[in-house]
Amino acid sequence: MKKLILVLFLGGAFLLTSCGDSTSTVESGTYQGTIDKVEASKEEIYVKIEDGKTLELYFTDETELTKNGTAVDFSALQEGQNVEVTLEKVGKRLDPIAVKIME
Amino acid sequence: MEQLPDFWRTEIFHPLSVHFPIGILITAFLFKIISLKYKREVWIEGSFILLLLGTVGIWIAIYTGDLADGIVSRKLCDPTVLKDHENMAYICAWIFTSAIILESIARYNLVNLRIKSILLNWLSTILISCGVLVLGYVGHLGATLVYQQGAGTYQPSADCSEFVE
Repeated sequence: MKKLILVLFLGGAFLLTSCGDSTSTVESGTYQGTIDKVEASKEEIYVKIEDGKTLELYFTDETELTKNGTAVDFSALQEGQNVEVTLEKVGKRLDPIAVKIME
Repeated sequence: MEQLPDFWRTEIFHPLSVHFPIGILITAFLFKIISLKYKREVWIEGSFILLLLGTVGIWIAIYTGDLADGIVSRKLCDPTVLKDHENMAYICAWIFTSAIILESIARYNLVNLRIKSILLNWLSTILISCGVLVLGYVGHLGATLVYQQGAGTYQPSADCSEFVE
């Protein structure tokens, strides 16, 4: 019985903690951070910035993606890369104006 | 002049697929509650089959929701509601999936457990009850996205010119 309770407790904890990414909103501005996740099919990235917040960014037609000053394709983005993102906050949505790959 | 967009857009498949599991899983919950009092086969078998169908449906709804997410997120004023909707939907799906696993273990003796199947049955009832509550909240968040932020909807022009042939 104790084992069952333990399994149920661990299962519940798993359900509540592992089923999604927690994301934050910040003010408009420029932030540096690391790419946590890339979703190529949605042209979306998750960036963990210096204060520990994770930002969910959907690229728009206006987003400029560069590396060493040169425009690059979305496929150049990889998890773990350091990036500098310039964001515009619209409501609570964060539109990436520019994303610079730092390495 | 504005042109009316095609109805069969990618984001349409989520509302088309999401209402089926909502109805089925709520009915499965009602069957389950009734089967606790009246041990007739129709309630016991009915709740299991509906739970199975609803759980498959909820994973299909998550898939179509994921397709819609990439399109509607760029137009929402508060995408954090969409993120909550998505996270809670996954929790909901796993709760019902866990209930199916417990029910299957109890029905088919899949694992040689010393605990009695009646206990597993009660545990699955608790999970289904929690699942229905979470399902209601997921539905509320989805409705908020549509009715407060217009997620996935087409906004007609002021003069409705696209409806004139």
